[in-house]
Amino acid sequence: MDRIPVLAPVSPQAHALSALLIAVFFVLLAIFLLVTGLVTFMIIRYRDRPGAPEARQIFGWNTLEVIWTLIPIGILAIFSVFMISADRAADPLVPPGRIPDLQVVGHQWWWEINYRASGVVAANEIHIPVGKPILIDLRSADVVHDFWAPRLGRKIDAVPGHPNMLWIEADQPGTYMGECAEFCGVEHTWMRFRVIAQNRGDFDAWQRTQLATPLSPTAPDAIAGAKLFTDKTCVNCHAIAGTVANQTVGPDLSHIASRVMLAGEAAQNTPDELFRWLKQPDVIKPQSHMPNFKLTDDEARELVAYLEGLK
Amino acid sequence: MSEMVEAGVAPAIVVPEREGLLRWITSVDHKEIGILYIISAMAFFLIGGLEALVIRLQLLAPNFHIVSPETFDQMFTMHGTTMIFLFVMPMLTGFSTYVVPLMIGARDMAFPRLNAMSFWLQLFGGIILYFSFVAGGASSAGWFAYTPLSEKAYSSLPGVDFWILGLACIGIGTLAGAINFAVTIICLRVEGLTIRRLPLFVWMTLVNSFLMIFALPLINAALAMLLIDRFFNAHVFDPAGGGSAILWQHYFWSFGHPEVYIMILPAFGIISEVIPVFSRKPIYGYEFVAASSVAIAFLSFTVWAHHMFAVGMSHVANLAFGIASMTIAVPTGIKIFNWTATMYGGRIRFTTAMMFATAFLITFTIGGLSGISFAIFPLDWQLTDTYYLVAHFHYVLFGGSVFGIFAGFYYWFPKISGRLLSERVGKWQFWLTFIGFNLTFFVQHILGLAGMPRRVFTYPDLPGWHAMNAISSIGAFMLGFAVLLFVWMIFEALSNGEIAGDNPWEAWTLEWATTSPPPPENFERVPPVHGRRPLWDLAHPERADELVARS
Amino acid sequence: MISIRERGKIGVGLFILSEANFFLLLIVAYVYYHAYPGQGPTAANALNVSRTAAFSVALFASSATIFMASRAARHGDNGGLIAWLAITIALGTLFIFGQVKEYYDLIEGGVGVSRNLFATTFFTLTGFHGLHVIIGLIALGITFALALAGKLHASTRDGFGAVEWYWHFVDVVWVVVFSVVYLWSAAS
Repeated sequence: MDRIPVLAPVSPQAHALSALLIAVFFVLLAIFLLVTGLVTFMIIRYRDRPGAPEARQIFGWNTLEVIWTLIPIGILAIFSVFMISADRAADPLVPPGRIPDLQVVGHQWWWEINYRASGVVAANEIHIPVGKPILIDLRSADVVHDFWAPRLGRKIDAVPGHPNMLWIEADQPGTYMGECAEFCGVEHTWMRFRVIAQNRGDFDAWQRTQLATPLSPTAPDAIAGAKLFTDKTCVNCHAIAGTVANQTVGPDLSHIASRVMLAGEAAQNTPDELFRWLKQPDVIKPQSHMPNFKLTDDEARELVAYLEGLK
Repeated sequence: MSEMVEAGVAPAIVVPEREGLLRWITSVDHKEIGILYIISAMAFFLIGGLEALVIRLQLLAPNFHIVSPETFDQMFTMHGTTMIFLFVMPMLTGFSTYVVPLMIGARDMAFPRLNAMSFWLQLFGGIILYFSFVAGGASSAGWFAYTPLSEKAYSSLPGVDFWILGLACIGIGTLAGAINFAVTIICLRVEGLTIRRLPLFVWMTLVNSFLMIFALPLINAALAMLLIDRFFNAHVFDPAGGGSAILWQHYFWSFGHPEVYIMILPAFGIISEVIPVFSRKPIYGYEFVAASSVAIAFLSFTVWAHHMFAVGMSHVANLAFGIASMTIAVPTGIKIFNWTATMYGGRIRFTTAMMFATAFLITFTIGGLSGISFAIFPLDWQLTDTYYLVAHFHYVLFGGSVFGIFAGFYYWFPKISGRLLSERVGKWQFWLTFIGFNLTFFVQHILGLAGMPRRVFTYPDLPGWHAMNAISSIGAFMLGFAVLLFVWMIFEALSNGEIAGDNPWEAWTLEWATTSPPPPENFERVPPVHGRRPLWDLAHPERADELVARS
Repeated sequence: MISIRERGKIGVGLFILSEANFFLLLIVAYVYYHAYPGQGPTAANALNVSRTAAFSVALFASSATIFMASRAARHGDNGGLIAWLAITIALGTLFIFGQVKEYYDLIEGGVGVSRNLFATTFFTLTGFHGLHVIIGLIALGITFALALAGKLHASTRDGFGAVEWYWHFVDVVWVVVFSVVYLWSAAS
C-alpha cells in the first residue's frame, strides 16, 4: 500500500483522511454502479430492433423526481457529518500558546527548515522524532508553494503574507516522501523533500551532529575546496556554521554531507552527482537560482571534497 | 388546421450579395457566423491537442528531455487556456449561434452585427494569445495565473501580458454574445413558442447567457488589476507590496467556477436534444431538467472557494464552501436520472450521436462523483493538485463537454452542411475516442492517489509512476489519432457524404422544419407551435404532446 | 413575449447587470485595502471631498437632463431634445474635467497609481468609472449628431432608450463609488 501514500497513513491526521477516503470511495462506487447499471439496462432492453413496440410517450413522474432528489440530499447530509469530524481529526486546532516546533519556508525551489527549540537549520530533509505531533509554521519567501507529505498529513499552501499552521506526525520510523503541491515556477517539479522519522535516540544523535560546528577540513583537496567556497562567491548565498559564510539566500550547507538528496531531489547526494551539480546546475535543474560558475574539473572536485566533509 | 406563421420577426438588415472570402469576413448571418465559430474552434482544438501531446510525450517516462521545463510550462498553460477559451466555449457558442435562431423560428439573432463582432473578437483574442509564442514566449504561469508567480517579479517576460489581453478580448466578445443570445431568446420567439415550450438546448443557452453576464465581469476586473500591477508597478495581488495573493484566487475562482458550468450547460442542452430524439420519446421530466439548470446557475456563484481548500482558510469557510459544493451535485444528479429515464420505454437508435450521448452519461457521472470527493474538503487536502484532480476535470470537461460536442456535431452537421457524416466511420471514431479517452485519464486517478502532483515536467522513478504515465500517454496518442480521423471524416462528408434531407433523424424541433442547409431567411414558413415538439404534433395531431399531457 | 422593438434597452439592461458585477469587484478591492492601509496617503488625507462633490452634482444633474431629453423625444420636440442632450453632454464633460483635475493634483502631489494600495484601488475604481463616463459621452455625442440631423425618431427610440439607461447606470455607479470612497472611507 506504500504505492498509494494517501492510503498508507502513519499519523492520526492521515489516518482520519485515509478512512474517510475509503468510506467515500465505496459510496461513490455504489452510485457509479447504479448509474452505469441503469444506463446499460436501458440501452440493451430498449434498443430498436424488428418487432420492438413503439416508444412510450411519457413525460415524467413527479414522485420519482422527489425521490431522486431527496436520496442524494440524504447521502450528502451524511457526508457532511463525515466532513466535520474529519476536519477536526485531520486539522486539529492549535492550542493557545502552543509554539510551532518547526518554521518551514518555501523558496523557489527548496525548503528551508528552522528548528525553533534547538536552532538547527536544515534544507529539504526534515528529521522528526517518532510519535510526537509536530507543529509547522509554514511560510513562503516568494510565490505560493504547498507543503505535502501525504503519509503524514494534509497538504497546505505556503502563501507569502499569510502564514499557515500544519500538523505532521509519524507513528513509526521511516522515510516519507514530500513534494511541493502548488505550481511555483519552472522548477516546481524538483522542489521535493523527505521527512525522516527516527526513534528518540537516533533523532537526538542526528540533532547533536546538526548542532555541532563542522570540523575544519584537513585533506589538501578539501582545504582547497574551502578556499574556493569563498573565492567563487558561494558565501554570497550559502551558510556554513563556523565559517564566514552566513547568508540564507540558498540552502544552509553546514551539514550537507548528511543529506540523502540534492537540489530538491533532482540529484542524489553522491560525490559524482554533487560534482555534476556543481559543474552544470543549469542542466540538472534549469533556471534554478544556482549559477553555473564555469568551474574546472579540478575546482569542482575540490569543492566536492570539502562539501562531502561537512557531515 | 394549417396555421403556418410568418418566419419570426427579425431586424431588417439588407445584406449585399458577396462571394468568397469577402462574404465570410463581412457576414452578419447567424448561420455563417456559426460555421466560422465551429471552424475556428476545431482549429484551436487541434492546436490545444498538439500541446497536450507534447505534454504526454514529455511525461512518457521519467527524466525525459523532449522539451525544456520552461517550454513544458508554456504548453500546459496554453493547453488549458486554449481548450477552455478557444475550443469548448466557441464551439458551443457556434452551435448555439447556428441552431438557436432556427429552433425558435427566427430569421436571425437580435443583433446580427454584434454577433459578427463577437466572433471576430474571439478570433482576434486567440491571435493575440498565440502571438506571445513569437514575442518572448507564451505565459507559463498556468491557466489560472496565481499571483505573485504571474506578477512581473516572477514572470518578467510579456507572455502573461499577452495572456491577459487575449483573454480580455475574448471576454468582451463572449459577453456581447451572451447578451445577444439572451435578447434573441427573450424577444424573437415565434408565435406559440412560450418559455415553457423552449427546446432544452435553447433553455440552456439562455441560462448560460446569464451565467456569462454575471461571471465574465469578475475575471475582467481581476485581469484589469493584474495588468495594472504588471504595467504600473502596483501591488494589488502582490504580497511583496502589501497586496494579497489570496485575493487573486478569490477573484479568479469567483469567475472560474461559474466558467466550468458555462462550459457544460450547453452540452447538457445537446444531450437533452439527442437522447429524446434517438429514444423516440420526449425528454423525461422537462421541468426538472430546466429548473435544475437554473439552480445550478445560482449555486455556481456560491462554491468558488472549493478551489482554495488548501490555501488555509478558516474552518468555517471550508465548511460553508464544502456544503455548498455538495449541494450543487443534487441538481446535476437530477439531470442524469432524467436523461436515463428518457431511454426507458424507448426505441433506441444507436447513431453515433446517441453513442456519444450515452457515453456522456457514464463519463460525466465519473467526473461528477470524483468532484464530490473534492467537495468533502478534508479529502481535498489529499487529492487536490495531483493527477487525481487532472483526471476529475478531464472527465467532466472531455467526458462531459467534448462528448456532448461530438454528439451535437453528429446531430447537427447534416442540418448545417446538407450531408450526413458517415455512421460507419463514426462508430470507429466513437470507439477510438471512448477507449483513448479512458486510457488517458482513468489511470490518472490512481497516479494522483500515488502522489504525483500536477504541472510537473517530469517525475522521480517511484513505483508505478512510469507505467501509469506510459499508459496515459499511449491513450493520448490514440485520442489524437481519433481526432484526426474525425477531421478527415468531416472533409469526406463535405465532398462525398450522403445527402441529408430536411429531417434525417425524424426529430421534432423547428430547425428540422426547413431545408438542410436552411435558406438565407431560415424558413419559408414556420410550422405552428402548440407544444415542445412542433413536428411531432404536426405528424400526430391526435396525440399532440399538450393534448396528451392534459388528459 | 417582450417586443423586439425593446431589444436595445434589454440588451443594455443585461450589459448594465454585467458591468455592475465588474464594478462590484473593484469596489471590494478598494474596501478590502481600506482595512489594511499600510503606509502613505489615505482617502482621509489625500482626497478633496467637497470639490469632488461639486463636480459630482454635475453628473447627477445630467441624469435629470437626459430624462428631460427623452421626454422631449417622446413628445416629438426635436428642438428640446437637442437642447437637453447638449446640456447633458456639457454636464458630463464638466464631471470628466473635474476628474482630470483631481487626478492631476494627486499625481503632482506624489500620489500616483503605484504609490500604495489606496492609490492603486482608488485610481482603478474611479478610472474605470471615468472610462465608462467617456464611453457614455461618445454615445451621447452620436445621439446628439443624429438628433441634429433629424434622424432621431420612432424607429431609433429604442437606441436612445438604451443610451439613456446606460447613462443612468453610470450615474448610479458614481453614487455608490462617491459614497464608499469620498464619504465613508475618507471619514474612517
